Amino acid sequence: MKVKVLFIMFLWLGGMATSSAAELQLSLTLPSKAGEYHNPYVAVWLEDSSGKSVRTLVLWRERAKWLKDIRRWWRKVGRKDNELVDSITSATRAAGRYQLDFNALDDDKDPLAAGDYVLNVEVVRENGGRGIIKQKFTLNGADQTFTLAANSEMAKSMFTIKGSL
Amino acid sequence: MKFKTLLVGATALLFASQAAAHNRWFLPSHFNLSNDKGEWVMVDVTASNEAFNVDKPLGAEKMEIVAPDGKSVFPGSSYRGHRKSVVDVYLENDGTYQLKMGGEPKYWTSYKIKGEDKKQWLGNTNKQNRESKLPKGAYDVRTVESSSSIQTYITLNSPSENFAVNNQGLEFVPVTHPSDVAQGEEAKFKFIYNGKPESNVKVEILREGVRYRNDPENVELTTDAKGMISFTLEHAGRYLLIAEFEQEASDNALADDLHGQIFLTFEAVLN
Repeated sequence: MKVKVLFIMFLWLGGMATSSAAELQLSLTLPSKAGEYHNPYVAVWLEDSSGKSVRTLVLWRERAKWLKDIRRWWRKVGRKDNELVDSITSATRAAGRYQLDFNALDDDKDPLAAGDYVLNVEVVRENGGRGIIKQKFTLNGADQTFTLAANSEMAKSMFTIKGSL
Repeated sequence: MKFKTLLVGATALLFASQAAAHNRWFLPSHFNLSNDKGEWVMVDVTASNEAFNVDKPLGAEKMEIVAPDGKSVFPGSSYRGHRKSVVDVYLENDGTYQLKMGGEPKYWTSYKIKGEDKKQWLGNTNKQNRESKLPKGAYDVRTVESSSSIQTYITLNSPSENFAVNNQGLEFVPVTHPSDVAQGEEAKFKFIYNGKPESNVKVEILREGVRYRNDPENVELTTDAKGMISFTLEHAGRYLLIAEFEQEASDNALADDLHGQIFLTFEAVLN
């Protein structure tokens, strides 16, 4: 029994060693709104310094007909990769605080190289507005925390990078 | 100056019935769509100097719709009102649809004759067949090769690049995909005349909503030696691009002067 636990520990540590990607944590708060409320469509993705998307982290959506309303994400990412859209899709969520954790991997599950990136958070609501956050960060092995300022569709949120490259 | 008058005359003749010297444009209900099945789009067709307020109806019968696979698509239905025509278009497949009207070069010959102050015009008359058509004693004879087109691009899901050109008259060649023009990002377009990159094409880009501001804020550009323009639009929104080219023909068997005009509608997406 003890041996088995040790073995699992060993595997786990081994796994850690090979995928030593940094951890990304997004604490996203969608504000509640008075009156008619439809859950927002949300996309969260990372672009490299040239503006090319390297990873879509979150896609909360319902009907494909409205994907185009996530303007920037749809133009740069969604419309070009149907499989990616299918693989990351999940249902929309109501106002609230969401803790979202990711490894700093690209869409092909390879660790992101050190360098400059932009975290994009685009939130669009039917009969509501659109909010977009573009937070620059540098992946350099250091722990970092960013406060994402509130906009009409997103309350103050936090973005944290943890761990080495 | 003389040439300019000639061209205005030609344009007036071409569209005298309904839209003398008006800008003409398409305005689709959507430029970019997403769906897991086909989508309908409705397109306004009008002759109006206000982007994008409609003014006079323009017959849409000659609208050509090219699907992403290069095949022609026919409109679902259409209606002609007093201010605009409206056309229903079904986008069945993913990709970019090109909507176009006009573009084929036409030849107009002008002349003067004793006893008439005004310049006279002969339609469908080029340098080779004009001698037989001109009256005796005609002078100041000039023939213009003139092409004029209205166009727009609509994309369902992923964009495609069905940008076939006819190598006739003034034509638009996207460098930046028309569905990929975005606020604050540099875009590049190219213009060719009879198949060759054309410098000195005057391009004007009008942003919608002029009715509600004092300064029209038009962007004015001229193509470079490679036929290119590049521009960065500050505002997301719908735009009318007007490209115009006029030049004396240097090596053209059919015309003394060249003229081309394109009205292209596109949107700059919010970034």
